[in-house]
Amino acid sequence: MGLVRRENLCLAFFVLHFALISAVSLHQMLWLVARGRTLLPQSTHWQTADAILSTILAEQLEPSNPLRQAVATYLNATGIEGGYGFFAPSVPDNHKLVFELHYSTGKMEYVLPEVGEAATGKRLANLLDYIGRTPHEELRVLLIKMLAYSVWRSHSDATSIRAVFGFVKLPSMDEFKHGKKESYQFLYAYDFQFRTELRKSAP
Amino acid sequence: MLSSLRGGVVRHLFPAESDQWLAWLRVGLGIEVGLYCLSLRADWTYLFASNGRGLISPHLSEAVLLRDSALTPRLRWFTAAGEYLGLSEDTTVLVLWTCLLCAGLLLTIGFCSRTSAIVAWILHLSAVKSIGFMSYGADNFTTIGLFYLMVAPLPDRLALDHRIRKIRTKDSSRHGFHRRVLQLHLCLVYFFGGLGKCLGKGWWDGSSMWRALIRPPFDVISPETIASWGYLLPVAGVCVCLIEVGYSFLIWPRKTRMIWLILVLGMHIGIGLTMGLYLFSLIMIVLNAAAFAPDLVMVRARQLFFLNRHARV
Repeated sequence: MGLVRRENLCLAFFVLHFALISAVSLHQMLWLVARGRTLLPQSTHWQTADAILSTILAEQLEPSNPLRQAVATYLNATGIEGGYGFFAPSVPDNHKLVFELHYSTGKMEYVLPEVGEAATGKRLANLLDYIGRTPHEELRVLLIKMLAYSVWRSHSDATSIRAVFGFVKLPSMDEFKHGKKESYQFLYAYDFQFRTELRKSAP
Repeated sequence: MLSSLRGGVVRHLFPAESDQWLAWLRVGLGIEVGLYCLSLRADWTYLFASNGRGLISPHLSEAVLLRDSALTPRLRWFTAAGEYLGLSEDTTVLVLWTCLLCAGLLLTIGFCSRTSAIVAWILHLSAVKSIGFMSYGADNFTTIGLFYLMVAPLPDRLALDHRIRKIRTKDSSRHGFHRRVLQLHLCLVYFFGGLGKCLGKGWWDGSSMWRALIRPPFDVISPETIASWGYLLPVAGVCVCLIEVGYSFLIWPRKTRMIWLILVLGMHIGIGLTMGLYLFSLIMIVLNAAAFAPDLVMVRARQLFFLNRHARV
């Protein structure tokens, strides 16, 4: 391949690649600004700019549209589908899920979702934050049900499980110095019953 | 006019570079992939088991992914192939873990570099996407690194592919282009990361630093200890903002490059030690080191060498 032709191909890749990285990053930032989560004043201009970037990223098209599929596949394959605003503009509260296990004897037990490795524990925290963030109620219920089922497998004599989902409100440093600890704020509760004979089937 | 503009862009994007940066990237990513596998070894089958035997069924993550992107690699492709060959799902998942670990090891020593990079990229991406609800920054940056490595002009001079298999290294302008892409990508990462933090009040008064350090599961240091050093938190918060936003501009001039690289590497070491985000810190150190460290290290090494020679003479 000629040198100039190779350079032109590289330049085309470069322009496309960095346009997408910039669009994704700006899209994430404008989403936050448009919702008044930053120091900048809220304005409809932010929402308009956010909508333009959403269009550029083909998000307004039908999910089955080939262009949308191509853009999403490229973003996923190159790892640039998410922005880089880690803990920005502020550090959110973290979510917590507690299971109340009820037994036929009347006994009640509190259990947390279990994983083996500390590295998986960090991933579990991410999952709980996702559950807290998602606007889709059905997805939230399904994810919590799967977690409840994973707990029930090791406590199969429990007759019902109540999943209590909330977030942990962290104290400020001054509040902490005055003795205030973190507090648990309730968001949702769901009751599940799993039958032993259905143990082999997924929730 | 246009041709001179093109010439300027080409000169900036295709500088002649040695392949040292690629050796740093390859070895670093090999170690990262290996540690990723080892950190999840006990939970691997639990994370990827379907039919209610695991934590969250990967089928659910994959269904969400399928809606947006039908062609992104996912674990289901491999378990379906395994089923066709008569392998159980657990066996296939374990085989994938072993293949990913081997790809990491081969990348580290530079044997079959291109194949190892492609295998590592596709398996890592499949794993990450199949537990998409549980993935975080380290996974994204590893995918970014593996993608750049996969398309990079492999092998480098330190790889066994070059030393034993005698595969020739590629020309220096190709190395220059690929390294420049990585450098510019990191500049965008820090610019947007820093700008986002600057737009939050908490990064200026130290409250975001406080919350980041005491927020479970990142609460490696006790809140009492952090509170006793509380007066440093606003300074640390402002420093994080300045380091990240300043990176895009001050990593380029020769005079400030070393200082900024040390600052950003120090920040990532700090994140790793104080928040327990070891894989995230490692991948950021690897990407930064590959992008900007090789020349600096070589310049210092040459200076030391000449100083020693002059001293001897």
